Formats: sequence, C-alpha cells, structure tokens
Amino acid sequence: MNPKRCAACKYLRRRCPKDCIFSPYFPPGDPDKFACIHRIYGAGNVSKMLQQLPVQTRAEAVESLSFEAKCRVEDPVYGCVGIISLLQTEIQKTQTLLARTQAEIAVAQAKHSQNPS
Amino acid sequence: MSSSASPSSSCGGGPCGACKFLRRKCVAGCIFAPYFDSEQGAAHFAAVHKVFGASNVSKLLQHVPEHKRADAVVSICFEAQARLRDPIYGCVSHIVSLQQQVVSLQTELSYVQAHLATLELPQPPPAPVTSSGSPPPLSILDLPTITPSLYELSPIFEPMSSTWTMQQQPRPFDHLFDVPSSSTIGGSSELQALARDFLHGGQIPADLPPPGTGGSAPTVVKRE
Repeated sequence: MNPKRCAACKYLRRRCPKDCIFSPYFPPGDPDKFACIHRIYGAGNVSKMLQQLPVQTRAEAVESLSFEAKCRVEDPVYGCVGIISLLQTEIQKTQTLLARTQAEIAVAQAKHSQNPS
Repeated sequence: MSSSASPSSSCGGGPCGACKFLRRKCVAGCIFAPYFDSEQGAAHFAAVHKVFGASNVSKLLQHVPEHKRADAVVSICFEAQARLRDPIYGCVSHIVSLQQQVVSLQTELSYVQAHLATLELPQPPPAPVTSSGSPPPLSILDLPTITPSLYELSPIFEPMSSTWTMQQQPRPFDHLFDVPSSSTIGGSSELQALARDFLHGGQIPADLPPPGTGGSAPTVVKRE
C-alpha cells in the first residue's frame, strides 16, 4: 500500500488516488479527525458534500464538519447545539447584568444631581 | 419537526416519516417512528438523511437513552437544517456569531461597571477654604483600574467535557429557542413544538466571517 495515503484512505483501507477528494484535508498524521467525521456523517456523505462545494471553501467545510462531529461524539444528545445553548444563556445573563448596572448608574447619577456637594 | 407527543412505536397508521422517505416497510419498534410522523416527518428526515445518513442516525439514537432520544433527534434535525442552509459552516457560523455577541456584551459591561465605580467613589475630603468655595475636581488617577473581562473563547472549541451534565444545566432547548425564563419545558411535546417553530422560522447569520478570522459583528437576517 502507498505509505503516503491520506488519513481517510488509511481508515477506509483503500488505495489513495491522486485526485482523492479527502487527501488535502485529512493528512496522514491526524487519523482521529477523519475517524470522528466518518463516525457521524459517513465517508460517502462527506464526499458528496465536498463535491458540491467550490474547492476554495472545502477546507473550511471540513473544519466545521470536524468540529460538529467532535461535539456530537462528546455529547451524543445535544452535539454542538449544547454549545449554542450555553452561549445564549451567557448572553442573557450578561444582558441582565448590563441592564442592572445601567439602572444603578441612573440611580447614582440622580443622587449626585440631588446632592451636588 | 413534527412528531407524536408521546413515544409510540406503533406503525398501525402507516409508515413513519423516515420509512416513508426510505420507501421501506415500517416495522414495529422502528427507531425513527416516535420522532418522525408520516406527515411532515418525511421532509425533516430528508434533511437528516442527506447530511448524516439513516444508518448513522440510527446508530446514534441506539447509543442514546430512550428518554433522551427526542432531544437528540431535535438537535440532529437542527444541525442538518443548518448544514443544508450553510453547506460550508453549518451551525458553526451561529456559534461564532453568538461568541462575538458575548465578547461585545462583556466589553460593554466592563466599561459600564467602570463608569459605575467612578460614580460610587467616596467624595474626597473637603479642601481648605478658598475664595471660590468649590471642591477640586477628581483626577484621572483616582479612577480604579478595571481590566475588561473578556469571555474566554478557547474552552468553547474544546470538546465538551463531562462537566456539562444535564443535572446542572437547564435543558439546552429552553434557551435555544428563546423561551422566556419563567416558562418551563415539560415533556418532549413542548420541545418539539419549539423545535418546529425554530426550524420553520429560525434566524441564521447571513454574512459571517470565517471562524477564527475575526471581523465585524455579523448581521442576523431571518431566512425562510
């Protein structure tokens, strides 16, 4: 077997052709990346998705798929939706705190204007 | 995602949405039947099938406890829809947008807190009596040093650790679909109604910079 197979073809135990759609994005030194993506999406689905994208956008697509796949492996119930929820909770908390602080400023300013000394 | 309110594996009323889409016999105990009804479930399953594949989703659901499968299906549908809308970034673009909002709010909060601190500073001792009688103005050196506490972003992109437990956190969908905090999400039927609302009218950022490259705050547009 060609020792220069990409991580995807190594995982799939197949020959890595010169025009392999996976090879630019799955170097042989990082086998876990493809393993994770294959587990969640499947090689065929990922191949189809990449084929439908312009070449210059495929690297970003692979990174986002890899991120989502990792999240799903770590949290099979919510995947990266759990992160979205976490962030939305943080936004709500910060907005509440911001509103409260602005109200305190208004009170402090009112006090200052009433007692200028 | 329209699903039956109570988990039911009965296929007496015809095939479930998944089996209808796959054009196969819906057997008793079909893993998809409780979550994809025969009417609109097929459309939602189509998205899931295109992105994940039926067998991958089946395996995923088999590894999830039964009482959690409804939530898992909703999140999978969410991700599938997001990926079809944005084939390059999927719901990562939504995450980046939210992160930027968090950073922006944290920065604003820091400045506002600093402003409040200046207003709450104790007044300086009265100056010696002068002809004018007015106290000396505060100097900039009197202001406290406050470092903006930016939200740490790096942990977000770390694989979620086991510290995320549903026992400690509210259910993600309570906030995902902007549910008011006073409302409570009971059974999965409410969750699915909310998921339905989201999937039909969700907001996804339109003009986001690629993740990790920074950029101006994105505008959120409503997509049909």
